[in-house]
Amino acid sequence: MTPPSLHGSPAIVDVAGLHYRYPGGRTDALADLSLDVQQGQTVAVVGANGSGKSTLARLLGGLERAAQARHAVAAGHDLMSEAGRLEARRDVGVLFQDPENQLVAECVEDDVAFGLENLGWAPPEIRARVDEMLERFGLGDLRHREPHLLSGGQKQRTALAGVLAVPRRVLVLDEPTAMLDPAGRSEVLEAVAALRDDGLAIVFITQEMDEVPGADRVLALERGAVVYSGGVAGLFGDERLVRRLGLGLPAAGEVALELAGRGRRLDGPLPLTLDELVAALAEPA
Amino acid sequence: MSGSASSVAPHEDARPGIALACRGLGFSYSEARAPIPALREVSFELCAGGSLALLGASGSGKSTLLQVVRGLDEAETGAVLLDGRAAGDVGYPELRREVGLVFQVPELQLFAATAREDVAFGPRRLGWSGDEVEAAVDEAMDLAGLPPADFGDRHPYALSGGEQRRLALAGVLAMRPRLLLLDEPFVSLDPRTRRELARILRRLKDSGVTLVLATHDVDLAWSLCDELLVLDRGRVAVAGAWDFGAAGGHLLAADRLREPFLVTLWRRLGRDPREAPRTAAAAAEALS
Repeated sequence: MTPPSLHGSPAIVDVAGLHYRYPGGRTDALADLSLDVQQGQTVAVVGANGSGKSTLARLLGGLERAAQARHAVAAGHDLMSEAGRLEARRDVGVLFQDPENQLVAECVEDDVAFGLENLGWAPPEIRARVDEMLERFGLGDLRHREPHLLSGGQKQRTALAGVLAVPRRVLVLDEPTAMLDPAGRSEVLEAVAALRDDGLAIVFITQEMDEVPGADRVLALERGAVVYSGGVAGLFGDERLVRRLGLGLPAAGEVALELAGRGRRLDGPLPLTLDELVAALAEPA
Repeated sequence: MSGSASSVAPHEDARPGIALACRGLGFSYSEARAPIPALREVSFELCAGGSLALLGASGSGKSTLLQVVRGLDEAETGAVLLDGRAAGDVGYPELRREVGLVFQVPELQLFAATAREDVAFGPRRLGWSGDEVEAAVDEAMDLAGLPPADFGDRHPYALSGGEQRRLALAGVLAMRPRLLLLDEPFVSLDPRTRRELARILRRLKDSGVTLVLATHDVDLAWSLCDELLVLDRGRVAVAGAWDFGAAGGHLLAADRLREPFLVTLWRRLGRDPREAPRTAAAAAEALS
């Protein structure tokens, strides 16, 4: 993929002081939210079920209107204006949590082609791009299959291939690996890392703590408010906050924490990956 | 292979104590072009009170197998035996009623005006008396961590995502299944809710319920289940006890799977992966 052309604000997602309330809601579903994501950066978003993560995804994709914000920009478009939201719908790729809501066509390849057709790409270009995406997500054998006959993981990969087929500057992925088998999970994480290296700004919503260390920064939400924004190590190192938010740690961190509880404190920062844990355990106790 | 989920020859007689036996199951989905085979010659058995992790790549047939065992789809070939009885045998329909299936994202099927009513739907349909239904609903809601005094009158849609998932589980538990099938029960739950659900499943297991857990989460499967069945394109690739031999172990070889984190950790530390712990706490105990 060619690097997208960039203009305007260096932060490709730049939101400050955003409030959102559901129609008829009595409290803000998102309150005073600020988030910036630079080009070539992944920001993970974590938080309990119902903390506002999916609402944030829909706002960034121009699918909902915020009640107010000091500013709210995605892919250079003002999310506070109707025109800006329409443009954001085109330029911000959003993968929804439930792939059922995303699959619209009669078969897998038509679904992957859908966004490109809407953009008016020429048929030979669409065909080439669709072939590339089907190959990348292991869907080649399923190209003629009807979506309702796909497994959960196959549906999720089809939805992701459709979102990523369209060149974008901003991606918002809402639990993109939830339904995937371990290999599918690695493939998606590698694809996301490659897109980041291509210069995209990526918002990566996840319930998998083992996926968070791959992000450049992390945002933690609690009942619609940002309660942490910063480095990954800083979040997982705050034991009290992690417990309050009900988050848990990456698997390596869980073992290190249990060890500390038994009086064996590992040197250095809390290990968050297998390699870090193995290295820390190699130090003399 | 030592585990009771071992692969068995079709048509062999079921042994006593086997809660579930599948014999040469075959099933295809029909599509305009050609039938899509989903299960081929699937045979295994599971002891009463056992817990089986059903693993395999996306589209390998896990959900289809659960649907066939539950009786929502009829196998084209082979048979499902419950407590040694096959469809057509005396008592089989009653046994089938004791098979509970929790679907993927089951909260999408909540429909009643109150949590209590939703949970009561299944037992009522079984023709139980009012008192029996009430008792079953109370028990199931307690088991699912939703005390009826606090949650009974709430509207299902007013509950959080995690509470809705547990309410859907309560709806299945209220029918007092002896064999409980779960299809990706942890998907989209936050970590705290996932831990709560794992505790509930452990309690059910301790109370003697036979569990089949279809999941992509190898770590949770390893912490919860005594045995495993790996499907690969509709066929049984591995059946029986977990086996992480020094040579690499079968999960490394299986299509699109990986070992549990704690098994890989044990391997990396030069320890015997066959003695790998099931939980982080047990790992710390061994390492401290």
